[in-house]
Amino acid sequence: MEKIVGLLEKYYMVYLQGLWGTLWISAVTVFCGTLLGLLIAALRMSRSKLLNSFAGAYIEVLRGTPILLQLYFFWIGLPKLLPFELSDTMCIVVALVINASAYISEIIRAGINAVDKGQWEAARSVGLSEVHMMTHVIMPQAVKNILPALCNEFITTVKGTSLASVFFVGELMTSYKSVQAATFLALQSLTIVGVIYFLLNFILSRLLRLLERRLTASD
Amino acid sequence: MTDEIIRTQNLKKSFGQLEVLKGISTTIRRGEVVSIIGPSGGGKSTFLRCLNLLEQPTGGKVFFKGQDITDKKLNTCKFRQSMGMVFQNFNVFPNMTVLDNVTLAPILEKKLPKAQAREEALVLLRRVGLAEKANEYPRKLSGGQKQRLAIVRALAMQPEVMLFDEPTSALDPEMVKEVLNVIMDLTRSGMTILIVTHEMAFAREVSDRVLFICDGVIKEEGSPDQIFTCPHDPSTIKFLSMVL
Repeated sequence: MEKIVGLLEKYYMVYLQGLWGTLWISAVTVFCGTLLGLLIAALRMSRSKLLNSFAGAYIEVLRGTPILLQLYFFWIGLPKLLPFELSDTMCIVVALVINASAYISEIIRAGINAVDKGQWEAARSVGLSEVHMMTHVIMPQAVKNILPALCNEFITTVKGTSLASVFFVGELMTSYKSVQAATFLALQSLTIVGVIYFLLNFILSRLLRLLERRLTASD
Repeated sequence: MTDEIIRTQNLKKSFGQLEVLKGISTTIRRGEVVSIIGPSGGGKSTFLRCLNLLEQPTGGKVFFKGQDITDKKLNTCKFRQSMGMVFQNFNVFPNMTVLDNVTLAPILEKKLPKAQAREEALVLLRRVGLAEKANEYPRKLSGGQKQRLAIVRALAMQPEVMLFDEPTSALDPEMVKEVLNVIMDLTRSGMTILIVTHEMAFAREVSDRVLFICDGVIKEEGSPDQIFTCPHDPSTIKFLSMVL
């Protein structure tokens, strides 16, 4: 315990920097992953066979391979593919976003499919355009179905950012490694980082539960 | 033929191998109230749903005011705005208030100013006795109230035709009357109405014409008195003997 306090006193800046890294990488991954996930879900449900099977393959490949492999793949492959310089951090973030989008798209698709068929028909029968039907009738109802599963996925995403430490991208797990290398105090440093991760996810899940409660107020 | 509003010409619909509509040809005149009766699975609902393209016909043609609606170039949303539909299961939008249910489409698709849409919606809601529920969510409504709301939601778009697909079949018996009364009022307003129903007494009372649809075709059509008192087709006779 004293050693933990000692570590915190001496290295709190390292942990704070790590926390900041985890926070922004998580936020970007969750945000961009959700947007991309929406797009993939839209493709998956489109009437075009080509787009449909593209999205299907995208999801299967990303779900069927380890995330660590994907990180390596993008870390090595992306700089070779792109004509401009890309930092390690950006490669990893892109990989995390793409990985998250596959899972999120499936969650969104399931949520949309769970909306009663009668709602689609009613929306169409009053002459709503497809876009208005989605934004005003289907998605608001789908979001309610989705939220618990999405909360899970967001937490998985936050924890998944720890894999970035393999590439020494600045985040919490990397902070652990730095401190451990400097002090040889592995367990203590792990405990500190673990508590931070736990608190982060605890707060996140509470916030999402609050949102869930507000959204279900109408039924 | 000047007052024709809907005409179907050998309308067919198949779901995979199953042919539900085997060629239906009929003409609906403006202001006419037409009841569609027949056994379950005979194609009544499918026929109605083909008229506003909730189902895409697989054969034949449907004309609305002379325009072929099976034409790919048709603006489906615009067309559907002139044809209201009421469903068996109400299908009111649970995520918005009663008032928003009614004003949603007029505001979004007809670009009606919000205040005007609300005013018009309240007039309609008052007509069916739901004005004081305007700011409630549908979960607080009874089945009969939900169905009246669904009718108002369709009427708010000022359609030229109203399609009713078994509007009272999912209601508790004591609520059937309040919904039928609303529909009855509507028949007196000169609206063109097609109603699929199992309420034979009601069909007899309000209709100008009754279609008996069975096995995907119109087996018999005529005035309510003719159909209900002296049906000619054996299948009509059999059906009526079972339900009356």
